[in-house]
Amino acid sequence: MAGILFSIGLGGALTRKNAIIVLLAIEIMFNAGILNLIAFWHYRHFTSLTAQMFAIFAISIAAAESAIGLALVIAIYRHYRSVDVDEMKSLKG
Amino acid sequence: MDIAFWIISGITILGALLAVTLRNLVHCVLSLILFFLGIAAHYFLLRADFIGAIQILIYVGAVAVLILFAIMLTRNVTGTEGPREVLGVKWWAGSAIAGAMAAMLCWAVQNDKISRTLSAGEKATTSIAAIGKGFVAEWIVPFEIMAVLLTAALIGAVVIALEEVLKRR
Repeated sequence: MAGILFSIGLGGALTRKNAIIVLLAIEIMFNAGILNLIAFWHYRHFTSLTAQMFAIFAISIAAAESAIGLALVIAIYRHYRSVDVDEMKSLKG
Repeated sequence: MDIAFWIISGITILGALLAVTLRNLVHCVLSLILFFLGIAAHYFLLRADFIGAIQILIYVGAVAVLILFAIMLTRNVTGTEGPREVLGVKWWAGSAIAGAMAAMLCWAVQNDKISRTLSAGEKATTSIAAIGKGFVAEWIVPFEIMAVLLTAALIGAVVIALEEVLKRR
C-alpha cells in the first residue's frame, strides 16, 4: 500500500512541469514512507513507543521541509516569473 | 483483510493519483487533502490514533493551506492554472519509472509475509500519556532539536520569501 503510494508520488514528481505539483508529489512520498513505518509498528512492535515518536518527528520534519520548499518556489517565481521546472535552467543568479 | 482497509486504500490511492494528474492546480491540492485524510484514516485503522490526529492537524491544517497560499502567490497573470503540461516523452519515462518502482515494491512485500501478530485482547501500551512522557523523558533531545529545527525553518522560509521587499528599499 505504501509502496504503491510512494511510486505514485515518484511518478508525479518526475512527470509534472509545475514546481508546486512536484512538491505535492514529494509530500505524497513522505506520507507513504511514514505510513509504512506505522504499518510495520502495528504488525511487529506494537508495544514499543519508538516508531510513534519517530513518526511524529518525521511528520514535523516533512512539514518544515514543505514550508521551505514553497518559500523557495515563491522566491524563484519572483525571479523567473513562472513556476515551470523546465525554465529553471541556470544555477546562477 | 477488512473491507474498511480496501475502501480507505482505494480513496487514498485515488487521491494520490488525482493529485499528480489533474490539470487545474487547485484541484490537485484538493485531491491532496483527500489523500491526507485517507492516510489519517489508515493511521486510525492501524490504531495509531495520536499520529492520525497529528496528521490531520499538521497536513490538512497547515501544509495544504500553505500550498494554497503558494499557489495564490505564484499565479500567472494570464491564466488560472499553471504551465500547460505536454504529454511527451517525459510523461512516459516518468510513468515507466514509477511503474517499475511499484512492481519492485510489490514484489518485495510479497516475498516477506508479515503475519498479523496481534492477539485479540492485546492492549496498546502506547497511549497519548505514554507519548507525552516519552517526549520529556527518553526523547527529550530530539524534541529540543525539533524545536530548533522548526524555528530555523520558520525564519528561513520568511527570509527566503521576503528578499524582494528588502531589495526594493
